[in-house]
Amino acid sequence: MSRGRRGAIKPVTTREDDMRLTRRSFVATTAATALTGLRFSMRSAVAADDKVIKFGMPQDFTKIYTFVTAEYSQGARDYFSLVNGRGGVNGYKIDAEVSDHANDLPRAIEAYERLKREGMVLIDPLSTPVARALVSRALEDKINLGTAFSGRSDAADGSVFPYVMPLSPNYWTQAGLIVDFFRQQDKDLTGKKVVLVNIDTPFGKEPIPIFQALAQKLGYSFENFPYTPPGNDQSAIWPQVRRAKPDWVVFWGAGVGQTTALSEAIRNGIPMDRMSSSVWLSESDMDVVGKDAAKGVLKFEPCASGRSPKVVADIIKEVAGKGQGAGPEGKIGTAYYNYGVMMAAIMVEGVRVAFQKNPNGPITGPWLNDGLTAITDFTAEGLLPAMTVTKEDHQGGGKGRIARWDGTKFVPQTDWFSANQDVVWTEIKKSAEAFKAAGK
Amino acid sequence: MFYRRAGIRHTTYRQERQLWPLPFDRFLVGLVAVLLIAAPFVVDRLYLVAYLLPWLIWSSAALGLNLLMGGAGQIHLGYGAVMAIGAYTSVHLIRFGTPFELAMLAGGLASAAIGSIFGFAALRVKSLYLAMATIAMQYIVDFVITHVPGISGGGMASVEVPPVRFLGILIEGDLRTYFMALAVCAVVTLFMLNVGRTAFGRALAAVREKDYAAEIIGIDTFKYKLLAFWSSSFIGGVIGCVLVVCYLRSVSPEQFHLDLSVQLLAMVIVGGLGSVLGSFFGAGLILFAPIVFNNLIGAGADRLGISIGADLRAHLPLMLYGALIVAFLVVEPLGLAKIYDNVRNYFLVWPFRHARR
Repeated sequence: MSRGRRGAIKPVTTREDDMRLTRRSFVATTAATALTGLRFSMRSAVAADDKVIKFGMPQDFTKIYTFVTAEYSQGARDYFSLVNGRGGVNGYKIDAEVSDHANDLPRAIEAYERLKREGMVLIDPLSTPVARALVSRALEDKINLGTAFSGRSDAADGSVFPYVMPLSPNYWTQAGLIVDFFRQQDKDLTGKKVVLVNIDTPFGKEPIPIFQALAQKLGYSFENFPYTPPGNDQSAIWPQVRRAKPDWVVFWGAGVGQTTALSEAIRNGIPMDRMSSSVWLSESDMDVVGKDAAKGVLKFEPCASGRSPKVVADIIKEVAGKGQGAGPEGKIGTAYYNYGVMMAAIMVEGVRVAFQKNPNGPITGPWLNDGLTAITDFTAEGLLPAMTVTKEDHQGGGKGRIARWDGTKFVPQTDWFSANQDVVWTEIKKSAEAFKAAGK
Repeated sequence: MFYRRAGIRHTTYRQERQLWPLPFDRFLVGLVAVLLIAAPFVVDRLYLVAYLLPWLIWSSAALGLNLLMGGAGQIHLGYGAVMAIGAYTSVHLIRFGTPFELAMLAGGLASAAIGSIFGFAALRVKSLYLAMATIAMQYIVDFVITHVPGISGGGMASVEVPPVRFLGILIEGDLRTYFMALAVCAVVTLFMLNVGRTAFGRALAAVREKDYAAEIIGIDTFKYKLLAFWSSSFIGGVIGCVLVVCYLRSVSPEQFHLDLSVQLLAMVIVGGLGSVLGSFFGAGLILFAPIVFNNLIGAGADRLGISIGADLRAHLPLMLYGALIVAFLVVEPLGLAKIYDNVRNYFLVWPFRHARR
């Protein structure tokens, strides 16, 4: 019936016309949008100011690292605002270009190449896959690649990776320090059992050689329980962990894997004060698990958390207080926010040292690299342990501390310390040698 | 007007069977070829290494998947894993001193061999069930790569690609990697254009339309389904090798996860199933729409002085990207290639509205 009516009534043709019109205008609009997109990005490349130092921060805001990127980026940008508000470094302002690469390699490589053309002297992608893919480009282009808490751990060896800058304790150091904390607590680890519950990815398996090497040295037995990524179901693993009767548990994951691990550990009655995480544990995770339930859990801290460090207090006063904060004020002082402040402070310190060494520039990757690799005893006014970066050691000394969750905040349990660096550096050298051999 | 076509007047079989019967189409193809060859010398370096190069590589991969999905009608959700096999095989062979040319082919053969083993599933199951079987392949391959240190490259799970030579030419720098990818892409494109005109291609089409009907008319579906998996996986393996040698320069497991498989699937579907041109359009849209939107919104916000929160600024391009894909598929369910075809059909007889067939 409807068929007959459609055939009989005229408007059919006009409807088709409408369709075609919309289709045509649709195609035209899309083409126009695409073209303007290209024009915009080209124009913004030309508009360059002489008195800025450019950092590129294409990071993953939308895919995998979302749990950390927003807070990290907020901290870094707030610190740059603090520095710029005080007149910059040597009259130069820090210009950080933040964008999203969604942990996708073509997008990240596009961002890298675009930022390179815009004259960035440092690029901080905050993503392990992206950092790995950019290593050979950064080495070739002499652009400093920030790889804090991501990328290759062996990049600590500056003689092999001159332009890859972890500038933070790598995962091997974190494992070494955590085990040393266990030793400090128990006086002697002989006959004890340390287990690692890790996400079954290269990242999760990374610390295993350190745990094994230290097991031989310190006499504890080591067992490893991997769970399948992304780690939102670990119910099969934790009963096994319980049955293994560990003296110490290290859980090694990121994002959802961490909160799931904690919930399952609590369910299986594993004492919280015998469990430790790497850097990837924050206040927000505690909200998920339950602030009181997770009381006592340990984590590795590369820098102080909370709002008491002077730099963070200054940010609250001079940046957020004036309404120039880069994000919600409630996030200021969280663990990941402070990681962002820490990395930004180290980068800016690198710029300051670079100006000391070569006041007249020119401002290039190698110029900044000279500064970054000459940072000496830098503490960012008490935010981080005294850090010394050299041409050989891009890790900056490998210091940190262990902190315990007391139900409201992470309370440091130790002073800043460093340990087991001999074992860590054996692993770094071994891996860096393999990298060098592969490039030939 | 543009196409200057007035009726089809073929006098020989040769004329009738040529790829592009219309002079204007031949002109367009030639123009695109010239532009692609001239690109490194005229286009800004950024657009060469960050746009054209990945576009060529992803398009070639989409073509390989399109042979299986559009050509033979077999869905594959683990094409990223197929590429991983090719990439890892060839890189390890190169590291042990095998010439690049042989390593590339060996990568293709390894992918083809393992890909056809999983293709056996296609002999028993179809559509959604086959999709699940191929996803299983993706996870099995991922698992094997990450759990065999000899493959993944140990603790850092990253293997650097040593410098390689193709026919004596060192493949390094922007220019040579681009031309390497372009050459491989050209070979794959020519193969895909011609496969539809061969007995093999016609058999695949028959299997695609209805496999038991194909069996009835004497086509060995067992053989052709496996052959479809074999040849598609071979292309995937070779492209996996090109991807790591020319573009990524190091190989690690995350590069080939399910994300890549889904990305390629989206390219094939948005571009147009079974269309060669569509694979190029699809790859272009899926790869670059997020980047263009991202730059557009970033630059727009800076220029107009609108303060958008970092969160929204990151997510807005993805929303627009999603909306764009939906819009394209609503306007033309048969994909971008069909949109091009509609435009072409319109101009075929322009300024008239209809032409007598």
